[in-house]
Amino acid sequence: MSFVNRLFSAINSGTKHLFKRRFTLRYPDQKFILEGEGYQYDPKNGVGIAGYRGRHILYLERCTGCSLCFMMCKGISLAIEMINLPDKQISVNKKSNFPQIDYSKCVYCGFCVDACPFRALFETNDYEVVSYDRESLLFTPEQLAVPPKKPKGTHDLKYGSRGAYHA
Amino acid sequence: MSTLSISVGPQHPGSGHFRIMVKLDGDRIVEALPDPGYVHRGEEKLAEYRNYIQNIPHFERPIVHDSSNILFAYVSAVEDLMKLEVPERGQYIRVVMAELNRIIAHLYYMAIYGIFVGHSTMFMWPMGDRELFIDVAQMISGQRVTFAFLLPGGVRNDMPEGVKERAEKACDYFEKRLVEYEKIFINNPLFERRTRGMGVLTKQDAIRLGVVGPTLRASGVKADLRKDEPYAVYDKLDFDIPVSQDGDSWARAWVHMEEMRQSMAIIRQALKDMPSGPVKLNLRGQIRAPSGETFARTEASRGALSFYLVSNGGMMPYRVRLITPSFRNMIAIPHILKGLLLADLPPAFWGLDYWPVEADR
Ligand code: SF4
Ligand code: SF4
Repeated sequence: MSFVNRLFSAINSGTKHLFKRRFTLRYPDQKFILEGEGYQYDPKNGVGIAGYRGRHILYLERCTGCSLCFMMCKGISLAIEMINLPDKQISVNKKSNFPQIDYSKCVYCGFCVDACPFRALFETNDYEVVSYDRESLLFTPEQLAVPPKKPKGTHDLKYGSRGAYHA
Repeated sequence: MSTLSISVGPQHPGSGHFRIMVKLDGDRIVEALPDPGYVHRGEEKLAEYRNYIQNIPHFERPIVHDSSNILFAYVSAVEDLMKLEVPERGQYIRVVMAELNRIIAHLYYMAIYGIFVGHSTMFMWPMGDRELFIDVAQMISGQRVTFAFLLPGGVRNDMPEGVKERAEKACDYFEKRLVEYEKIFINNPLFERRTRGMGVLTKQDAIRLGVVGPTLRASGVKADLRKDEPYAVYDKLDFDIPVSQDGDSWARAWVHMEEMRQSMAIIRQALKDMPSGPVKLNLRGQIRAPSGETFARTEASRGALSFYLVSNGGMMPYRVRLITPSFRNMIAIPHILKGLLLADLPPAFWGLDYWPVEADR
């Protein structure tokens, strides 16, 4: 093909996109839909259960305070710290030690979930851990125990005749 | 002859902190010396104080958008030490993730290439289309960039429902898009005028300098570890290795684009042939590798990536040596930049797909 032909075909392939759907998600007005409950781990078979790896959820009633999650995170990002909550009376946790997670350090690798042998720590599909100051990124065990609000997101990647788009 | 020395960088001349000291005679580059080391993090030393699992998120950091491929080499080395046999389904899922990552990294390359030659459409399109593959990878692994998905002994979790359909749709759509990429970018006469015959690395030079990956294949050498030393299940999959004889910057862009086609073919086959079964060995407790040493390498998106691992029987590696493809390709920078105009430096430099963080480790 000649120079002019190829130039024309280049311009043409771009111009066509004036009439195609836009491939943009207008976050935060539009939010993603994330399937499932988040990443979980089955200690019996030693294999994870697929899901989004977002903010953690701690089941206080199952946490024994064994600090295996802390030991794992220590070599990764030092985000977990074990803190003492004397007013939390849990039969399996005599010393009342629970993990607290600093989300300014966490990399969401999920290896603390893999390390927990009691199914007490999982990850949810809450990906909006943001704040104006560092202090509010420190999640205490009580905050981690709160299940995240169901995301209102409805937008998903769609493939149509006029291109791929978020809708 | 009076020359002028200028420093390109070190503040992020493309991708990560890195400097090229350029000596100019008028507008011509007479000498260009790379000056790496600005993003050295000591990943090799850090690895000596972390156990085999804790090292996984750390080893992703040098190449975040190609994380599965660097972990592929690492877990292969650990499995080699521990004499583990990975279940077949785990191997197939690994290959799918590695190829998704290759496409994601190559699209990133195309996007930066576009902006380096002043083609902003070519920046927007690949950055948008990366989303198609990130979406599939997120369904499988639960993360969008640093997947931390490969483990010694297999992969972390099985694929959820619907990955296959989603991946097929993404591939179908992206195959059509690649034709448009060809029209607007690769075969665009303006892009060809900027890059044809520029930064040429002949076949002999490429072999002599020891470059790897798409740079080597663009210089006419058919070398790809997925074919030459097939690891995982690559020997059961049918794919081609695109090779160009030109050795210039244009050929490098072309090789990257054709590799994305081949990666999609691999993903389709791997998803089709995937057997059922376990995805991971159940290794109880801490991972301890018996003492010994090993060497494992895989074909990452930028070329051959090798891990040399020494263990003394403990929970942590005794010594890790990581040789990344960008480190091997850095030697070509003075070679290809010499004699070019200063204005041609960005496309010629980016054609190499040099990633400072990966080279500095
Ligand atoms: S996800 Fe990773 S970084 Fe975050 S707390 Fe768990 S182990 Fe630490
Ligand atoms: S969350 Fe799990 S690993 Fe962490 S202290 Fe509690 S029981 Fe132990």
